[in-house]
Amino acid sequence: MRLLHVVGARPNIPKLAPVYRAAAARRADQIVVHTGQHYDDALSASFFRDLELPPPDINLDVGSHTHAVQTARILERLEPIVVAEHPDWVVVYGDVNSTLAAVLVAAKLGVPSAHVEAGLRSGDRGMPEEINRIIADRLASRLFTPSRDADEILRREGEPEDKIVFAGNVMIDSVLHALPRARVLEPRWRGTDRPVVVTLHRPSNVDDPRRLAALAEALVAVSADRQVVFPAHPRTQERMRAGGVSMPGVTVIPPLGYLEMLALVDGAHAVITDSGGLQEETTVLGVPCFTVRATTERPVTVREGTNVIVRNPSEIPAGVRAARRRVNPPRPEGWDGRAGERVVAGLGVI
Amino acid sequence: MKILHVVGARPNFPKLAPVYRAARVAGLDQIVMHTGQHYDDAMSDAFFRDLGIRPPDVNLGVGSGTHGQQTARIMERIEPELVKHQPDWVVVYGDVNSTAAAALVAVKLGQRVAHVEAGVRSNDRSMPEEINRIVVDRLADLLLTPSRTADATLRAEGEPASEIAFVGNVMVDALLFAVERARVTGARKRVGVENGKAVVVTLHRPANVDNLLRLEGIMRALRVVAADRPVLFPVHPRTRTRLDAAGIDAGKVKLMEPVGYLEMLDLMDAAHAVVTDSGGLQVESAALGVPCLTVRDTTEWPETVTCGANRLVFDPVGLPAAVASVRRLAQAPRPEGWDGMAAVRVVDCLRTR
Repeated sequence: MRLLHVVGARPNIPKLAPVYRAAAARRADQIVVHTGQHYDDALSASFFRDLELPPPDINLDVGSHTHAVQTARILERLEPIVVAEHPDWVVVYGDVNSTLAAVLVAAKLGVPSAHVEAGLRSGDRGMPEEINRIIADRLASRLFTPSRDADEILRREGEPEDKIVFAGNVMIDSVLHALPRARVLEPRWRGTDRPVVVTLHRPSNVDDPRRLAALAEALVAVSADRQVVFPAHPRTQERMRAGGVSMPGVTVIPPLGYLEMLALVDGAHAVITDSGGLQEETTVLGVPCFTVRATTERPVTVREGTNVIVRNPSEIPAGVRAARRRVNPPRPEGWDGRAGERVVAGLGVI
Repeated sequence: MKILHVVGARPNFPKLAPVYRAARVAGLDQIVMHTGQHYDDAMSDAFFRDLGIRPPDVNLGVGSGTHGQQTARIMERIEPELVKHQPDWVVVYGDVNSTAAAALVAVKLGQRVAHVEAGVRSNDRSMPEEINRIVVDRLADLLLTPSRTADATLRAEGEPASEIAFVGNVMVDALLFAVERARVTGARKRVGVENGKAVVVTLHRPANVDNLLRLEGIMRALRVVAADRPVLFPVHPRTRTRLDAAGIDAGKVKLMEPVGYLEMLDLMDAAHAVVTDSGGLQVESAALGVPCLTVRDTTEWPETVTCGANRLVFDPVGLPAAVASVRRLAQAPRPEGWDGMAAVRVVDCLRTR
């Protein structure tokens, strides 16, 4: 059995890791293609190390461009590789441009494809990720879902029952696998007290200078009570400079590796974010999470977990002040560290 | 209101033409963008004149390539054009690579996309067109369907009823607009066929022409048919390459250069039957009341079968008997929406949403 995994951006790598490990344990033949859709990825390499993955076999170096140009480059460069490698499955992850491009290539070549983290929807088609998700799910031959509500969404979209496989959350596999190593790290960015950790990168938050300024104001207010640590996406730092937005009192640092970030979040009083993955990671760590978006594609983190959707940034300071860490973090169904094994079983790797 | 039409290959033009004319009557601003994914010399000014439209305003010249390469080039070249023109609607047609690629780029730019001929499915994902259809229908904001079956298909795929609008078949609009002029082209006389005698053939699908055993089987069947009656076969360049490479004998089958839109209509109109693997010809022959034998195991136009004009003959061995048994329909069938007004309904939908 030959699997060709396609990843394109950092958030894909913690999803790949448990699937890769489980398939390696069953001696599957595996090829990892990194499309290189992030230009800032000195960190990508450290993510592979932190997650105990070998480096990617093939790097397509597509670089950062508009959505159309980036997707186009991935299509062009990936197609001959899929033709040459003859995989039994093309396996794609999450919701980046590489996810969409790879399933499209596979579908046109008649090669079966599997989407890990299928059935997530924010309901907001203004998010490019939402477009990537709905196309990946429509074209992939097997859909591995992280939660039962994702199964339900796919059924409503008319996907046949035999395409949908409930696998559970692969990202949580990676958290549980890496947590012991993260907890013995010497923290570089933590002060004496539990800090508030911030990540922001979505266009809806960082491309509108007024929205970004309102968020900055809220973060500055939070920093009056506690240290605020903000590992900032280069895109966000650029927008801050361009918009003349400053955050006095907020510790803005470069993006962190996987283990360092996990250690920082694990020790945090609360997290303020617009990332998808952090909403899930904070739930299993019992850390309160404030998601600054209008929607979430991961409602289980609100229903069962520590996540709160905050539409108005001015509500953040009071929310963070009142937040308490959970002593016994909840574990939604399938968030048990074995999702990668269920994916590999669902692919028929024996 | 500004409409940007995206077309990419020859089968798109008879779908574009009635919509373009209806939008012109409605006084809308229009830009026709041809991606150039399929270029052939027959697509001259005369081709556009036959269809009653002007030549495309922009040609992106993407040319041919693998599906990945071609889709990639369309995406790269169309993005700056969509940004520049900022249309109120991007209108895409049918199921070619340009259809899917343009929809993908437009939706990511937050532009509204309307798909003409939405909800059409063969349910065969090994057809590249089926992948394009699935992608564009998932993305488009307005799904303009040719049949009630297509509406039901889209609803079963979870598309909201508010995005689905039944408009009817725009290809039939184009045909009804052109058929009288087709009958005075003299094409049937030039080829020398008596009315109601000849069989007109087209083949281009990979499933039929890339598989040599299958192509040989179909040609053997056509040679048998040609023993009894004239068989006219305007050969797609792709099919020509395959026939030449394999050295397949055509026998009495008359291999011809591809013909223009009007000439083709006239040849079909004069025919005893049509043998094809094209989607468009199934519709056109049904609309003319000429029996169609489709050499495939699926069809995306089930209404052509239920109205009695079309039959699927997957095994070419069955072709000679099928050709001998079919009769021209006494009256050309008119399924719902085959009334020549589909494009008017398309333009109404674009204006009111």
